[in-house]
This record gives sequence, C-alpha cells and structure tokens, in this order.
Amino acid sequence: MTDDGNRMIDEGAPIAPGEASGEGPGGILEPYEVFRQEKDGDPMRHGGNVLAPDLELALHYAREMYSRRGESVRLWVVRRADIGVLDDLDLLQPPLDRSFKKPGGYVMRDKLAAARDRAGTTKPGARAASHDTTGRRGEGDR
Amino acid sequence: MTPTSVMSGLDTPTRSALAGLLLAMADDDFVIGFSDSEWTGIAPILEEDVAMSSIAQDELGHAKVLYELLAGLLDDGRDADALAYDREPEAYRHARLLDHGRGDWATTIARRFLYDTADAARLASIGDGWPPLAELVAKIRREERYHVMHALAWVDRLARAGGEARTRFAAALEALAPDAPTVLAAPEGEAALLEAGILARPMSAAFRGWRTEVFGILGPLGITLALEAATDATRHRATPSDDFRWLWGEFTSVRRSDPGASW
Repeated sequence: MTDDGNRMIDEGAPIAPGEASGEGPGGILEPYEVFRQEKDGDPMRHGGNVLAPDLELALHYAREMYSRRGESVRLWVVRRADIGVLDDLDLLQPPLDRSFKKPGGYVMRDKLAAARDRAGTTKPGARAASHDTTGRRGEGDR
Repeated sequence: MTPTSVMSGLDTPTRSALAGLLLAMADDDFVIGFSDSEWTGIAPILEEDVAMSSIAQDELGHAKVLYELLAGLLDDGRDADALAYDREPEAYRHARLLDHGRGDWATTIARRFLYDTADAARLASIGDGWPPLAELVAKIRREERYHVMHALAWVDRLARAGGEARTRFAAALEALAPDAPTVLAAPEGEAALLEAGILARPMSAAFRGWRTEVFGILGPLGITLALEAATDATRHRATPSDDFRWLWGEFTSVRRSDPGASW
C-alpha cells in the first residue's frame, strides 16, 4: 500500500490498542476491508471495513456489520495491508489523448467535419443522430 | 397456529412437562439476552459492541418464539409478552447459571461459552415428537451455531492472552462452574417427554456430551473445571439473586409503566 493509498477507504494504517478505538482484545487492531454479495451471481461490492485483531474475528464482525439483517449471501474479508493499491494518476489517467485505445477507436468527428468543409458537402442528415462526444463508434465517424 | 393444533396428540402429563421445558428454555434465552444487552454502548470495541448486541437480540428472538409456542400450548389467555413480562421475579425458571449478573467482560464471555455450549446440547436433545418445537429448534440451531463460534473465538483469545485477561477469565469460569450444569438439569416429567419423542435423549446424556465437549475445549488451554450433573431441584433458585431482581426491574419497567398499553 502506498502512503496515501486510502482513496477507496477512510482509515489509515494499523491502529494500536489504546488509540482511536480503545483497548483491543489482544494484539493490534487492524482494518479489514469487507466485500459483500447481495445475491448469488451478483458482483462482490465493497461494503465498508471493520477493525479486528485477526481474520477470524474480522469475519465475525463483518457478519454482524454487513449481514446481520440477512442482506448478504457471501462476504469477502481481506486485511487492508494485504491489498495492493495503485493510485498514481500519471499511470491511471495519462495526460495525453488515449482515445485510440478505446473500443471506438479514433474520434474522427473533427477530421470528418474538416474534410466535408473542404469538399463542400454536408453531413448526411440521417446519420447525424449517431454522432456523439463520447468517442463511441458511430457509423458516420468512419 | 391455533392452540388446538399445537396441543393435539398430547396427554395432560406430557403437555404439562412440555410447558415446563418450554418455559425453562424461553426464560434462559430471555434472561441471558437481556443481561448481555447491557453491553450495548460499552463493549471493549465498537465491532464487539455490535456483535454482542446482535447476539443478545438473537436470544431475545429465540425467547419470543418459545414464549409464543408456550402461549399456544397453555391457551390461558396470556400472550408471549404477558409470559415474558408479567411474572414476579420468583416465577422465572432460568437456570442458576443465568442468575449471575453479566459481571466484567471475562465473566460475560465465560457465561456465554458455558451457556451456548450447554444450550446447543439441549437443542440437540429435542426430538421430533412435537413438530412445532422440532421445526422451531431446527431454525434456532442454525443461529446458535454462530453464537458458539463467537464464544469460542473469545475463549481462545482470553485464555491464551495470559496476564490479567487469562486470570480474570479462569476465575470467572471457576465461579460459574457450579451453576453451569443447571442448564441441563432434567426437566420435570422427563420420562413423559422421552416417551412422546419430544426429547430424543435424557438430559443426563446431554450433560455428559456437553461436559466432554467443554473439557475438550478447555483442556488444551490448560484450564480444568469441576462440572457435576444438576438435578431438577437445583435448576433455578427459589429466591432469585439480587442481580436478577435488578435485571427484572429493568426489563419490566416499561411494561409496568402502563399496564395493558398497546406498543
């Protein structure tokens, strides 16, 4: 985990007994992230987290926090320290245009409009509706 | 479920013995549920606070359905609430184990451990002779499994922690041991219950199984306990403890503030 890798979660590093949550039952209380599945076949979604001294009690607490009213059919509980975090925006949100990596390919709208201008033609009206600004492939773009 | 349907097929001595069994089971769950709910807001950590409160609620839920079953059986005009709240302290039939207050955390865990394992042995002794109870017990056992898991997780940690935690826990177990077997005292009319298949085995067998289990858990932790079988006469105190009288005052206070009100 990186030093500031807490975007998904709202608590920091392991918490020592006596700090924040008071005396633990033994050892150091650590955050565990809880993922829950509402019904069979659904994706596992992040539910929240619990503080516990070990995985066994973390599972007990996750059960009480995230399914005591019967709202889950499966829970995944993982020590936060065991989660690999990547949140470097240079890697995740590159500053240059990466639209060519999208399923729709290059955004051709502007080039196409310029070509039409040069040729003195207009955009076929029937296809206007397929144009959008999301980079999604539309027939008129190619 | 109508009273007639739940009573069908039972002769008077069996019905009377069954009523006694249901009352003991319901009172046990009711008392430990209320007692453990006192941890709400003050348990060692927030997560444990939620866990203990939720377990206490489960016990009250089990008491509720058992009182409802009993109300149908007795058919004397009292509903589950009346059975739960409208008795004097002397009329409760909870086991002596539950006549102790919740004490410190070590006492609460020791009591939960002894009760949950004994209760599991009792639930496992219910036969299919009276379907309404058999069906209910099947559901209750699914929830109680978690209670035992939770108690064992704490037993292990307190016993292995050493220091004050272990000292307090061992002392609590020792203080409760003389009263723990009362949960599994043979109910009055046990022979009739066995005959009707409402009990699948005598409580003496449940007690022996429970004792073996408890020894098997505590032995590896270096803790030895003296557990002697209890008789029906020793199940509950004729004169409840001051701890229970105080608890009774708490759990009946709202009901007594306006008798007969609809909530």
